[in-house]
Amino acid sequence: MAQETKIFKEDILFHEFNTTETDYNQRGYHLEVALEVNQVRKFAQKAYDAGFYLVFVTGFHVLSEETEEGTTSGLNGVYTFARYDRLYRIKGHVSVPEDMSLPSICDIYQGANWHERETRDLYGINFEGHPNLKPLLLSDEDRDFHPLLKEEKNLKSLETVSWPPEALESVDADAGAKAPSADSIDS
Amino acid sequence: MLESDFQEKNRFFLNMGPQHPSTHGVLLIVLEMSGEYVLDPQPVLGFVHRMHEKMAESRPCVGFMPNTARMDYVCALPYNHGYVSLIERKTGIEVPKRAEYIRVITSELNRVASHLLWLGAYLLDLGAFTPILYGFDDREHILDILEDITGSRLTYCYYRFGGVSRDIDDKFVASTRAFIKRLRERFVIYEKLVTKNIIFIKRTENIGIVSPDMALRYGMTGPNLRGSGIAYDVRKNEPYSVYPEIDFEVPVGAQGDCLDRYMVRIREMEQSLRIIEQALDQLPEGPVRAKVPKNIKLSPGDCNFAVEAARGELSYYLVGDGTSTPYRLKVRVPSYSNLSCLPELGRGILLPDLVSILGSFDLVIPEMDR
Repeated sequence: MAQETKIFKEDILFHEFNTTETDYNQRGYHLEVALEVNQVRKFAQKAYDAGFYLVFVTGFHVLSEETEEGTTSGLNGVYTFARYDRLYRIKGHVSVPEDMSLPSICDIYQGANWHERETRDLYGINFEGHPNLKPLLLSDEDRDFHPLLKEEKNLKSLETVSWPPEALESVDADAGAKAPSADSIDS
Repeated sequence: MLESDFQEKNRFFLNMGPQHPSTHGVLLIVLEMSGEYVLDPQPVLGFVHRMHEKMAESRPCVGFMPNTARMDYVCALPYNHGYVSLIERKTGIEVPKRAEYIRVITSELNRVASHLLWLGAYLLDLGAFTPILYGFDDREHILDILEDITGSRLTYCYYRFGGVSRDIDDKFVASTRAFIKRLRERFVIYEKLVTKNIIFIKRTENIGIVSPDMALRYGMTGPNLRGSGIAYDVRKNEPYSVYPEIDFEVPVGAQGDCLDRYMVRIREMEQSLRIIEQALDQLPEGPVRAKVPKNIKLSPGDCNFAVEAARGELSYYLVGDGTSTPYRLKVRVPSYSNLSCLPELGRGILLPDLVSILGSFDLVIPEMDR
């Protein structure tokens, strides 16, 4: 699997974005792409042209941060794509700006239509350009209720839920192998 | 009167479901019709939405195990498999070989049971009453075998982090082998009864053609995708568990119509039987459960794990925060993406053909609604 990654060079395909190669055996995907809001559609178009299919679109909620461009909403959009012909998975993530909107990609991938409607239901992210952003899983009465938004006390910062830079060593050490015996159960 | 004027004047809306025999569960499809032609079918989901993803965020990861079987209740073991494998990948737990073989055997048995149920239900949609009786008869054998070993008939919670809850015994092996022999004989009956039936072929051939590009745009997976000729199977493309050690084929169809999707599932059942047979032959001795910490901590960072469920690719996407409770768990279910092409696929077709297409997609509504 590792060799395949090298041969096809998806990192060159997505070179204009901020990409990081990841360890597939640990994370289950090969390439992580950090996106800006204005790059989302370009990224989806590139993925479509290269023959990727859409796995899912979703979000997750962390503490909001102050950046140079302004305050983020704390929400993140996650896009994952994979291939039919060989093993390659990519994950793109984007920080949602304070106006809570992301560009819709459902004219590129029509399958994103339902995924984006679901993400709006659960997180309240508004997808601009979506033809039919009605509630899908939740009912119409719950239009303004977003169940996956976390309460303030449960929110964590993006760093605490991301892989640490020295991921490889620290994760191996945590990996349960050296769990104390009193804390284990018998097979 | 021009044809378009006629269409305009005779437009009406029809609610198909949420209580309709061919939607197999509480799915509503709002149809914009003109005469007997469907102009715009729009599925309405969410009738059995239970917010499993929120439940995952509110309890330690081990507590989510029972939930995994309650999404796709027809083929629950692959859902167990995906979730335990996700946590094992995240925490680095090694699984004993014997446990992985048992997982493959039981998952494939469950897949056959799911396809048998689909076979009966699909033909019932098309107006044939007899096959569902045959299908349920065979499926009952599988449920009995799995009940003996797992303790439940549908909503299994059999796999554990680091293995399975109980070892299989000689009775399981014997009855599984007997079942394989029996089902191979039954395939002959199915072929005579269904596959070569002229009415069945008329109802499925050239109906609901899904092109490879359309499949890609909607992210279709599983037998629905393979019917269109793309040999994508997570068990082959992204080998997990002990599938790389087992020899099996990925059946594909030619043009992606309902008949192709039917043929793919029938041939897939034969391949599943091959997998079970080989796994039983190669079954190693040893423990079925690794020692795992009682309190499993999920390290910070995200992790993805995909398995092939009966309906296609099932992905779990987890974000950990260092505690034992997932910070975020996304479940990507296959039926959801598969059905999302219906508004495009069902435009301008006859209503009976829409029923045929819906049946050929093998939908499980609680799985889509989660």
